[in-house]
Parts: sequence; structure tokens; C-alpha cells
Amino acid sequence: MLLLARKNLFSERIRLIISVGGVALSVFLIGVLLSLYRGWDEKVGGFVEDSDVDVWVGSEGTNDFLAAASLLPLENADEVGEQPEIDEWSAIVVRPMQGLAVKIDDGEDTSEQEMDIHFIGYDPATNMSGPIKIEEGAEEPGEGEVIIDQAIKDRYGIGVGDEVEAAGRRLTVVGVASGGDFVASQSVFVTLAEAQDLLRMEEAATFIGIRVTDGTDPQEVADEIPLQAAGVVAFTSDEFAERTRERILGNVLPILTMVLGLAFIVGLAVSGLTIYTATVEKAREYGILKAVGFKNSYLYRLVFEQSLATGAIGFLIGAGLTILFSPIAGAQVPQFVTLVRWQDMVFVLLATVFMSLIAGYVPVRRLASIDPTSVFKA
Amino acid sequence: MSVNGAILHMEKVTKTYGSGDAMVTALQEVDFEARPGEVVVIMGPSGAGKTTFLTIAGALTKPTAGSVIVSGNDIVNMGEKGLPDVRRDKIGFVFQSFNLLESLTSLENVALVMTPARGGGTKAGRDRAREILTMLGLSHRLNSLPKQLSGGEKQRVAIARALANNPDLILADEPTANLDSARGREVMFLLKQIAAEMGKAVVIVSHDHRIREVASRIVWLEDGTFRSDVMTARDPVCSRVIEIQGAPTVEYEATAFYFCGDNCQKLFELEPVRYGSKTA
Repeated sequence: MLLLARKNLFSERIRLIISVGGVALSVFLIGVLLSLYRGWDEKVGGFVEDSDVDVWVGSEGTNDFLAAASLLPLENADEVGEQPEIDEWSAIVVRPMQGLAVKIDDGEDTSEQEMDIHFIGYDPATNMSGPIKIEEGAEEPGEGEVIIDQAIKDRYGIGVGDEVEAAGRRLTVVGVASGGDFVASQSVFVTLAEAQDLLRMEEAATFIGIRVTDGTDPQEVADEIPLQAAGVVAFTSDEFAERTRERILGNVLPILTMVLGLAFIVGLAVSGLTIYTATVEKAREYGILKAVGFKNSYLYRLVFEQSLATGAIGFLIGAGLTILFSPIAGAQVPQFVTLVRWQDMVFVLLATVFMSLIAGYVPVRRLASIDPTSVFKA
Repeated sequence: MSVNGAILHMEKVTKTYGSGDAMVTALQEVDFEARPGEVVVIMGPSGAGKTTFLTIAGALTKPTAGSVIVSGNDIVNMGEKGLPDVRRDKIGFVFQSFNLLESLTSLENVALVMTPARGGGTKAGRDRAREILTMLGLSHRLNSLPKQLSGGEKQRVAIARALANNPDLILADEPTANLDSARGREVMFLLKQIAAEMGKAVVIVSHDHRIREVASRIVWLEDGTFRSDVMTARDPVCSRVIEIQGAPTVEYEATAFYFCGDNCQKLFELEPVRYGSKTA
């Protein structure tokens, strides 16, 4: 970095703080929003991806996991398993509903809290659409038992030994699992038979989960199923996860993009204005440099170096705040689910560099017009 | 391409601004030379074209017509991109208001302008800057910021900066204007010493009559041309050197006093003893 650029930058401490603060705020906002988006993206689609199901089959009109309006009769489902490409299949019941988190102390209810849940019935023998990772307690639920997601434990303070009231029945919590948090709602897992009984879905399911044989392309199976059975749709796990993400994040993304743009403009405006005023205030000095033989390219470098240094410091502070703030905020507000990815930080860094270059561009244009003979005026 | 051994050679230099009825001629077919070891002082009334002369000699402005050669460089026919190099390598500037960079120390102000050939950006360059400042009596002010320096010290740092690239030509614009008489005198003799001992050509534009003491030659610039038939006097109120012809005048104790304008004349008439005796 040029000596004069460094001196000019650090000699005006207040201006530097304002400028760096503007960039840092902008980086922080962009970083937090991006990590929030990534966090939601991971949570919302992650369960479908990690459920160890290759192909999801639902009734016609089904689009994603969360809306779960599918209803499949199972009377002919055994035929599915006869297909040579299919290794294993399992009926899955999913129903979004409102449940009750019941805290039990010495056999007595001590508190009840309403909660939005995804009530999932799965076959523990295949574990398709079952708990992703057991964190504590039983590996699978028995009759009258439920495994809850870790996020329910964190939000509502219930755990093993407490109860969940769902679909009109009290179920005892026997385990806690991670990986089933959809941000707006969380998973509770019961056996398939229990779910079918409670929801009066004997001989029916929401989805059929399929595992294909080794070497079989799930996409081929997903394409073939609607041709073999009328009134059903089938998706590969990746496609189903993507559609599930789209359900939640599709509406959020345009808003998020808008706010990201605003955050960028805030950073650009603050850094641009401070660098511009600094350049204007130093116009005479730039004139002196021109007069004594420095070329415009040197002056441009001076301004851009100051702008980029401001951006770099602002980025470090903003990125540091993002990394520090996200887990703290997540601990206070469970819905504040974030995932800070290095790829996103690289994107924010590039945005900051772009911001700095634009912030330096306007003052540079002014530099070009400074008349060096003006320094002869007293 | 040095002409007759002159460091600065100007021939039939004309500079006009504007066009048509609004055209102003700042310099009219001016011939001028400055040689090594010479201190040439250019005097003249305000608006005479002194600053225009300096900016043309300093490769900051191109003339409308004529030839300007600085240390063998034809700056009139040179492309715009080449002029900064001439200014940095061949010319040292000393300004009325010092024009130091406020965020840099004395040493950094001098070292900054050094070209790579003179060690710019290296320890050798800083050592050379230190040498020049020490030579000018500023060894105790190397790490001072301009705001920590007196006017005289600032001007000496500016002179050191002008010498940083060992140019052949020093152009000084009113170098004593912002200094008290003692500091002004110090700077004047420093410029004379630089010309005499280092073989530089020093061209000074000034209103300060004291500068005559160090001048090898004084030339009078008025209405864009140099005049040799000019008789000058010092305004007793503002101390400017002015041309006698046409100037307001007052007789006081059998002595004629000349003024740059009505204001100075009125001030003199209010306190003739004060200004008349000071002059005497």
C-alpha cells in the first residue's frame, strides 16, 4: 500500500471509523441474511435429503414434503416391491398439525405449550423418513411413544419423559433426534402403525419411500412409476428436497434479495460518501502531486487503495460480527437458524471489493479534472 | 537540446485564453532564458502574466505559440503524458503557501517525490531525503508534521522537496510572501546559495522588494511582455515593487512616494510619519 494512501486513511480517524463502520454494517447485514438463508435452506430441505429415501411417491398434485396433502391407498402397494429395480419400500405418513408440548414433573403436567409440528409415522424396520440422528434416548418409538426433534426440546423445554399431545393422543417422549427441524415447524416421529391409527389412515399413506437397488438410477425409477400407476407422482430425493425448499424459500428469496441489495447500497453510500468527501477535502494536495509530476494513474491508485483498504477492514469486522452474532442470536431466537459458509463469505468479500471499487470510482473521476496550476493560488 | 547553455529557454512564447471578443492574452511573444547558477526574479503588477509564465516554464500549461525548452526537453511538442516526468525529474517547485502534504512528515514529504532513479520508495531514497533536509538545517524536524513546523521551516521543507530529484531548474512562486522578514530573508539566501553552489537556475516570481538582494537579474513583466525601460519603486505601505509610471504618488518631505493603488495611498496620507520614516 502506498505510504500516502495509508497516511491519508489513518490520519482522519473519525472519517475512517464512519467509513469502515458503514462497510462493516453492510457486510454484517449481507453476511447474516445469507447465512440465515443458507440455514433455512439446509434445514428445510435437509430432512428429505438425509432420509435415506431414493424416490418419493405421492398422489397426483403432490409437490413437496411439507404441504403433504398426498393420500395414497396402499392396497396395491405390494406390487411396487416386485419391481426388480426396487430394493425396499415403505409407507410414510406425514401430517402438518398443531401439537402440545407437555412438561411433566413428578407425574404432573407443569406446563403446556402449543407448537407447530410435522407428525411423521415411519416404519422403524426401514427407518425411511425416520429420525436422522438420535441425540438421546430410544433409537425408535414404541406404541404410545414419540421421538421429538432437538429443536422442540430447545424451544419448548421438553425432553425424554415429557409428553407430546398430537392427533388427539398423549404420547410419551422417549428420544430426541436432530435433523428434523423445518424452522417453522419441527418433526415428531411415531411408528407407522400408530400414525395410521391416530389419523385413521389404515391402508393409506402420505408417501411411499423407495430405495433402489445398487446401480439403478433413481431418476429412471421416478420417471417410470407414474407410467405404471395412475394418479401418482414420483420424485428423486434431490428433486423432492428442492421442491420442499422452494415451498418455503421461494417466497422469501425475492424479499431477501431486495434486502441484500439495500444492505449493499447502505455500504456503498457510506463508504462512497466518506471517500468522496475525503478526496474533495484533499483536492489541493492531489493538485500539488499533479504539479510536482505525479501522473493521474498514481492519484487513482491512491484513492482506490484507500477505498479497498476501507473495504477490507470493514469486511473483516463485518464478517467477524456475522460469525460471532449468528450463534448468539440462534441461541436466543430458535427460528434464527443460520449457516455461515466460506463460499458465502467469499461472495461477500467480492461484493465488498465491488463496493469499494464503485466507491472509489466517483472521486477518481473528480481527480482527473483537478487543475494542477490551481496550487499556485495562495 | 539545451539552447546556448540555458536550462530554461523560452522563445516568442504567447499564451491566450478564450477566443473572439473574450480572448485574453496573458503572454505576448515572450523571450526568456535562465542559466545555471543564476537567480532571475520576475516582478510585475498583478495580472501581468507572472503565474502564466511560471506554469508554462513549469510544464504545467502549454503555450499557444512559441518554444519552451527545459533542460533540453522541448515541452511544447511533447505529448501530455510526458510532461509529468519532466516536472518531476527536471523542475523543482517552491510555492507561496508551501503546499506540503499534511499527513506526511518532513522526511516523507521529501522522500515521496523522489523518482525510482533517485531511490524513491527505498531506504536509499529516505537517506537522500534526510541528507537534503539536514543540509537545509532541518535535521531536528525530520519526523515533524507540517502543522508542527514554523512558516520558515515549512518553506525549507518545500525547498528540500524541490531539490529531491536534483533538478536543473527551480521555480519559486512568491516564496517569501507568507514569511516574516527574518524567515523570508533566510529563504531568499537559501535559494541564492542553491543556485550558486549547486548550479541550478532559480526563477522567482515575487512582489517582495527584498528578493532583489539575491537576484542575478530582475525582469519586469507587464501586460504579458517583458519590459526593460521600467523604473520601479517600493510601495511604502504594502512593500510591493511597482512601476513608477502611472502609479499614484505623494510628495512627503521632498521625497516622492509611489503606491500600488488608492488604498495604500490613503493609508500613507493618514500616517505619513509612520510610512515615510520607515521607508527612509
